[in-house]
Amino acid sequence: MFIFGQEFTLIGTVSDKSGFELPDVNIAIAGTNIGTVTDFEGNFEITLPKGQYTLVFQSISFETQEININLTENQSINVELADSQEELDDVVVRTKIEKTDVRSTQMSANSLTSATIKKVPVVLGEPDVIRSLIQLPGVSSAGEGASGFNVRGGGADQNLILVDDATVFNSSHLFGLFSIFNPDAIKDLTLYKGGIPAKYGGRVSSVLDIQQRSGNPDKFSGEGSIGVVSSKLLLEGPVNDGQTTYLVSGRSSYAHLFLQLADNPNSAYFYDLNAKVNHRIDNNNNLSLSAYYGRDVISINDNFVNTFGTTFVSARWSHTFNENLFSNMSFIVNDYFYNLNLDSVGFEFDSGVRNLNYKYAFNYLLNDEITFDFGIESFLHEFNPGNIRPNSETSGILSRQLTKNYANENAVFFDVDQELTNRLSIRYGFRLSAFLRQGQRKINVYEDDLPVLYNSRFGIYEQADPIDVISASRSEILNSFINFEPRISLAYAFNDDHSVKLGYNRMVQNLHLITNSSSPTPLDVWTPSGQFIDPQILDQIAFGYFSNLNEDKFSIETELFYRKIDNTIDFIDGANLIANEFIERDILMGEGRAYGWEFLFKKNTGKLTGWIAYTLSRSEQRTPGRTPDEPGINNGEWYLNNFDKTHDVSVVASYELDDRWEFNLNFIAQTGQPVNFPVGQYQFQDLTIPVFEGRNLNRLPTFHRLDLGVNHYPRKYKDKSRKAYWNFSIYNAYNRMNANSIIFRQDQQSGQNEAVRLAIFGIVPALSYNIKF
Amino acid sequence: MNNVYKILVFGLILGCWSCLDVVEVDLEEATPRLVVDATLQKNIVNNSENQIIKISRTRDFFSDEPVLVEGATVSVTDENGEVFNFQETNPGEYTFNDFQPVFETTYFLEVEVEGQLLTAEETYTEGLEIDVVSQSFGTGFSDDQFQVRAFFTDDGTGNNFYLFKFFTDFLFFPDFTLIDDEFISGNSNSVTFSDEDLVEGETVLIQLHKISRGYYNYLQRLLAQVGAAGGPFQAQPSTVRGNIVNETNPDDFVFGYFSISEYDEVSITIEPEND
Repeated sequence: MFIFGQEFTLIGTVSDKSGFELPDVNIAIAGTNIGTVTDFEGNFEITLPKGQYTLVFQSISFETQEININLTENQSINVELADSQEELDDVVVRTKIEKTDVRSTQMSANSLTSATIKKVPVVLGEPDVIRSLIQLPGVSSAGEGASGFNVRGGGADQNLILVDDATVFNSSHLFGLFSIFNPDAIKDLTLYKGGIPAKYGGRVSSVLDIQQRSGNPDKFSGEGSIGVVSSKLLLEGPVNDGQTTYLVSGRSSYAHLFLQLADNPNSAYFYDLNAKVNHRIDNNNNLSLSAYYGRDVISINDNFVNTFGTTFVSARWSHTFNENLFSNMSFIVNDYFYNLNLDSVGFEFDSGVRNLNYKYAFNYLLNDEITFDFGIESFLHEFNPGNIRPNSETSGILSRQLTKNYANENAVFFDVDQELTNRLSIRYGFRLSAFLRQGQRKINVYEDDLPVLYNSRFGIYEQADPIDVISASRSEILNSFINFEPRISLAYAFNDDHSVKLGYNRMVQNLHLITNSSSPTPLDVWTPSGQFIDPQILDQIAFGYFSNLNEDKFSIETELFYRKIDNTIDFIDGANLIANEFIERDILMGEGRAYGWEFLFKKNTGKLTGWIAYTLSRSEQRTPGRTPDEPGINNGEWYLNNFDKTHDVSVVASYELDDRWEFNLNFIAQTGQPVNFPVGQYQFQDLTIPVFEGRNLNRLPTFHRLDLGVNHYPRKYKDKSRKAYWNFSIYNAYNRMNANSIIFRQDQQSGQNEAVRLAIFGIVPALSYNIKF
Repeated sequence: MNNVYKILVFGLILGCWSCLDVVEVDLEEATPRLVVDATLQKNIVNNSENQIIKISRTRDFFSDEPVLVEGATVSVTDENGEVFNFQETNPGEYTFNDFQPVFETTYFLEVEVEGQLLTAEETYTEGLEIDVVSQSFGTGFSDDQFQVRAFFTDDGTGNNFYLFKFFTDFLFFPDFTLIDDEFISGNSNSVTFSDEDLVEGETVLIQLHKISRGYYNYLQRLLAQVGAAGGPFQAQPSTVRGNIVNETNPDDFVFGYFSISEYDEVSITIEPEND
């Protein structure tokens, strides 16, 4: 047997403190360009010449660890990484904010851990995923009281939001006050603003991938918090010696109870429940079951009761074929439900979306330089535009089920991540999607296939009356939309600390949120592509520069992006979108574009950590007439989207004075939202009518706000088995009345015209007590 | 259903921390346009009624003084050629006394003003009676307010559109409620009105107009501008155009609507609640 060049192989497994293997851990050999990544089972293998080395193990949400080895023969080691959250009581705090991944081909993405999310002070003291996300460059929200978030000028309905692989349709509780994600149940999340890997598809603007964490396999533990407006409790633990773990958490708000004590018959509250059960079948197989149930209830004197929310169950089987091939198979059942009960009119109204979803994804490591990701995905969708029924015997409402829509959405994807040279890496791939609109009970047929008519005499668009109504069974395919979505990104690293990246992706969306307001309301209805609605297609190109400075103490990320979207949807004037059975009669198609520059500066280590984010951007739309005679919307000229923000500055800072006090600060300044101010008035039938011309030509005043928070860890809980802390926060510390909207109206008593500014939150202090056991 | 946006606005404002403040805003002023308010109506009980057509101009949003247009020639002609000439009795107001419209007849409006010819047409159909009006307490959106409810029965023929107007002394302008028969065809249904100033002794005058589809669509768009203009769930503001066409200069369009409707009217005075 010959020994060539005295090289030896080091193999090993990286796991967390509970013994669970960790995939995607970066392993670097200090002082060299050599590195590798653990596979999905936490295993790695490196071959090196004989010698002494320092191996650096790094992963999101874990403490970086260095291990010295003396490689004189083939060796194997096991490495345990400490959870970065647990280091609170240590004086020396290492990486708290995620530093920039310079070498990876992934660009336009930000990852956040549960710990970072809890640093951002929020309204009513409740850490919030979406409020943390909107502090990042390129991400904003349409305003307080607006649900969802906007990425690079895209609409809130254009974000693919996944929780343990389940698609979420509405990410907010109570009109944007809280997001539906419980930060305690989250392991990590990644927001892709661009450079979207081929395994994701179905929405055009962004992907928010949230993975929930599994229960503690060592012992029963939990955490909870009691706040002024809401509380939450999480319990987790092992069953079967840790082969199986469970995690259950629940949150509920209860400010409505205070209202009822004050004899106010109105209430608005939410509650949600998360559960996850994880079972290690053997070393090669893992099964997990994740479930969520959330509801919002808004009740005005019991006369108007509105209930809505999401339910899903997601089952996943992870299987390791061998050290190179790994797979994940998921099966998801999903329901988004909306109910309105209106006593004064005598009706009850239901609507919603349901789907069954199947995913099978593979990860194949061909060698150190090339990794493949490929798989398939399939959905069966059911859309319910509305079921109306009388809610009492005296009601005159007729029972009616509006025609449900059905669709089958399929995709196959293939991605290659390849290191071409030491400096240049490339990821290229595609997603091929096939969206099949299935038959339904009633299908309108219009003359000349035109559901919208232009009345040139009156200068208005009108709904066309159908000339016939036909029917098709669900097994019939009415329309099919097949789209090829190429995805490619390049990363060129000058060295370990500086790189430039270039990315292009095409995204296709076949589910459209029909909304007429500036931000989604739960009343809004989802509708599938079909004969009269084409898929939205987005092309984005982005270029960025990434840098870690001063040994990873600071990071800079800056990107330029340009997007264009085909087949955007806008509505004819006066479109009534509630309980609208045939939405094609109110729609005009157009195009959109957005472009901008993002800049992010982060301080990753030290007592003071945080970031400054700045985005300069524009987001606009154009809906020309279908013929030269028609005006379209805004005369066919470009108009700003409702969530366009020219300047968007965010500052997030966290200062750890010592192991007992932590101070957090958050400052936002943004250009005011585009709105329409009236340019005149007239009287008609004693009503004063404001005159508007054009679309989104004015802006609300600049929005700016400072939030402060303090976390205090009392000394008596030095015993690590029980930790508690107080959180005191002030939202809108200098009480700026930011205009959510300006309402132009005639005062009902005096008859005088006035402009009234609606501001949702003034200064709001909050207190909560958090405990971990 | 059309009120749901308004209801959601109230729901959000309940959030205890929100504030409504009157603010100063600088507004631009558009080129003034003509406005023709030609709402002809006949009470189901009376045989005839005085009709007033008002012609004005749009003006700056914060300007109090209406801009009236005088010296126009206004006439309404029926499909048989009979002409009803309106006389300018007050500045900007053109009146015709004793107008007796006939069911299932089309009427044509003609206005000559400032060298422009404006025309419109509308068909007059039979109205509907209010069945009964009742009052209740604490049943609406507020548990400490009176509420009045007007009942009516749709004839089930389909494509019926209704406008309810609620007039009171304490409101500067009436409350409009639109309802179509899509979900109530052939059934009895009701519409409600409530206000914090509706107390014992106050009288509410309720009108039920049976209107055309075109007028219904117009009022829907118009009320969307008035009700939720700029609110958190605002519909997109738009330029609401009616059925009056400028034959001379079609691009120089005119605001307002020409409608003829038959209406029923009932009034109710709030009485003390019996316990």
